[in-house]
Amino acid sequence: MKKFLTLLIIAIQFGVIAQEANDILSKVVTKLNTVNDYTVTASLKANIPMIKILPSKATIYFKQKDKFKVVSKGIVILPKQGFTEINSFLANKKSYLAVAGDTTKIGNVMTKLITVIPNGESNEIILAKLWIDTKRALIMKSQITTKSNGSVTTSYSYSDNVTYGLPSELVFEIDVKAFKLPKSVAADINKSTTEKKTKPNKKGVITVTLTDYKVNTGLSDAIFTKKK
Amino acid sequence: MESETIIKVEHLAKRFGTFEAVKDVSFSVNKGDVFGFLGPNGAGKSTTIRCLLSLITPDAGSIKLFGKSFKTDRSAILSNIGSIIEKPDFYKYLSAQKNLEIFARVSGADVSKKEIQEMLEFVGLGDRGKHKLGGFSHGMKQRLGIAQTLLHKPDLIILDEPTTGLDPQGIVEIRNLILRLKNEQNKTILLSSHQLSEIELIANRMVIINQGRSIVEGSVSNLLNTQELLVRIEVDNARATGELLQKAYPETILKINSDSELEVTFVKELVPELARLLVSNNMNVHAIEPTRKLEDYFMKIIQA
Amino acid sequence: MLLKNTYNEFIKILSKPRSYLGIGALTLLVGIIIFAMKADGRSIISFVTSSFEQTLTFNGDILNGNLIAFIILQMLIVHIPLLVALVTGDLISGEAAMGTIRMLATKPISRTNIVLSKFIAGAMYTLFLTLWLGFFALFVSRQIFGTGDLIVLNSDGLVILQDADILWRFGLGFCVAFLSLLTVSTLSIALSAFAENSIGPIVSTMAIIILFTIIGSLDVTVFDNIKPYLFTTHMASWRSFFENPVPFSSIIKSIVILVVHNVVLVAIAIYKFNKKDITS
Repeated sequence: MKKFLTLLIIAIQFGVIAQEANDILSKVVTKLNTVNDYTVTASLKANIPMIKILPSKATIYFKQKDKFKVVSKGIVILPKQGFTEINSFLANKKSYLAVAGDTTKIGNVMTKLITVIPNGESNEIILAKLWIDTKRALIMKSQITTKSNGSVTTSYSYSDNVTYGLPSELVFEIDVKAFKLPKSVAADINKSTTEKKTKPNKKGVITVTLTDYKVNTGLSDAIFTKKK
Repeated sequence: MESETIIKVEHLAKRFGTFEAVKDVSFSVNKGDVFGFLGPNGAGKSTTIRCLLSLITPDAGSIKLFGKSFKTDRSAILSNIGSIIEKPDFYKYLSAQKNLEIFARVSGADVSKKEIQEMLEFVGLGDRGKHKLGGFSHGMKQRLGIAQTLLHKPDLIILDEPTTGLDPQGIVEIRNLILRLKNEQNKTILLSSHQLSEIELIANRMVIINQGRSIVEGSVSNLLNTQELLVRIEVDNARATGELLQKAYPETILKINSDSELEVTFVKELVPELARLLVSNNMNVHAIEPTRKLEDYFMKIIQA
Repeated sequence: MLLKNTYNEFIKILSKPRSYLGIGALTLLVGIIIFAMKADGRSIISFVTSSFEQTLTFNGDILNGNLIAFIILQMLIVHIPLLVALVTGDLISGEAAMGTIRMLATKPISRTNIVLSKFIAGAMYTLFLTLWLGFFALFVSRQIFGTGDLIVLNSDGLVILQDADILWRFGLGFCVAFLSLLTVSTLSIALSAFAENSIGPIVSTMAIIILFTIIGSLDVTVFDNIKPYLFTTHMASWRSFFENPVPFSSIIKSIVILVVHNVVLVAIAIYKFNKKDITS
């Protein structure tokens, strides 16, 4: 009897925890769903081992639910797991299990850790950790682990467009695997032939500052299909 | 008045590896000379001429042209020399006119396009100026070579075998040209040739070299004594003719070649008298021919 | 007299069919590369960026005229030395074979000036080839593919250079590339002074380049002392202009070594030609 009661209490508690996580996530998704589309100017700064690139600018277009386009005059580098995958991932409640965790302070903001575990194996994302400001239903930090691309940790900052849940700055921290440089047409044949690899656990950081949001302007689908 | 010395070569020597091409060659050429430079094949003629033109640096001896040395006045010397060494070589991918312009530009004189055209006409190539050298015959190239030699109006002309490969007409043209240059323009000409008859006809002074050494040098007439000719006579009875001539001219040198031919050394002016003597003594004379004296002299010197 | 004979040398170079062989070959090669890039340039790009694309995406127009120009330069800089040597290796020995050196050497122009005029004319031809390559590689590529940022794969990683920051790099890069090719030209002229035919200097020049390149690429300590002084080690120094930051001290060192090579080779050619007995 005692054992049964203990198990019952644990199950109820777990159910409560799961319900709490789902409630938090629902609020976040609801907020994100207020944005049908947006256009934003992005300033990118990349500090990645073995890549040298100056700060660059781009224009980002987004339309629900997963249309995304980056337009830039020059070359810009973004993490593979970037902006919008988490949105579409969270939208389908049945595809994952969310569990609430500890409370952590990030900056001046108290956040709740929500661990999201996808149900099926077909998903590219295998684990997502979200630190959510429960008061404002905002993601303050995320750590997305994918099958083929390692982990990307993203820190979110908000200002003018906080009501939409649109960040003013994103700082991506990516796992940089050992880049192997091929002896290609662009390779320098006169330098040392030894290959340089990144040290294990080395990180690359991409900082994206987002300004001049234009939200819900009714973007045409043609923007996302038009070729340059 | 002593003539100005244009070329003075003293004890010239040149070795290529272990082979001594020139051992001891000395000669001098005076202003206005047509100077014959003779020697058998391998005597060192080409090597000596190349030394005169600074193509080759001699190992020993001295060369002075116009009283100057190559060490101090190379440019001044060469700007006053025109030369053809062996066969004249040109740029096959350029026209005759362009070739002359190329060489004129570095000849040290200002030669205009008009003068080039006039020179082409002078050597008989006036209508071939625009043609590429690839289509030129040997004779045409030789003539172009002469044009190139004269373009900058040099005082000294050095010609190494200029008539090689030419037909008889070409040989005559070259000979006449050389005589014109000497007589009309008072050019000094050094002429190396195997055509001994040509040398005999046009040269006034000469040197013979053999095995890298100069053997004899002097005026052609003195060396050959051209007052005397070697006369070949073709008759019915050479022996009887020889006896007749021996009686009439006891000091003459006579040689019976065969039953019908004999050779006699004779003073040039007395040849008509010789003819009359034979005819008046009922000798049937088929031919009286003066042979090339230089050839004999040359062979005598070389074999000595 | 130097200027007059240099003008003569220009005329000779311009009149020889082989001079146009080099220009024609270069034009054809560049044309083929541009065509290939137009047809399937993306696969070459993915070859360069594939290692990084596991975690990153590259947005923007990577396949642009600047990249094509860079690739052309990278590919052809190995082959252009042959096209240069084809003409410059013939300058002295070709005339010896033809017999015209004999005619030229009897003119009142010093042998030093003969060599210098050939060197200058050879340098001008090399410059023309370099400019022609530059024109085709850069101008034509940019017309066909447009402009954009340039992505360069170096031995220590990827460098992405902004469009506005590229032209001066190409300009200076071509200047240094010209100096490299000038060294090849001077080497072939120096070898030409020793030969009596034109094939010898051309083949010898290429053999020396290949040999030095192999020595330079071998990771063997016994060669470490001589590698920095081989001119082939510095023939690719034009690439350094596409690094960030540009290693100017290393480039200047390469320039000095190449200039010294040129001076020494010209001196050798002048010395040899002055001493030579012209028997052809």
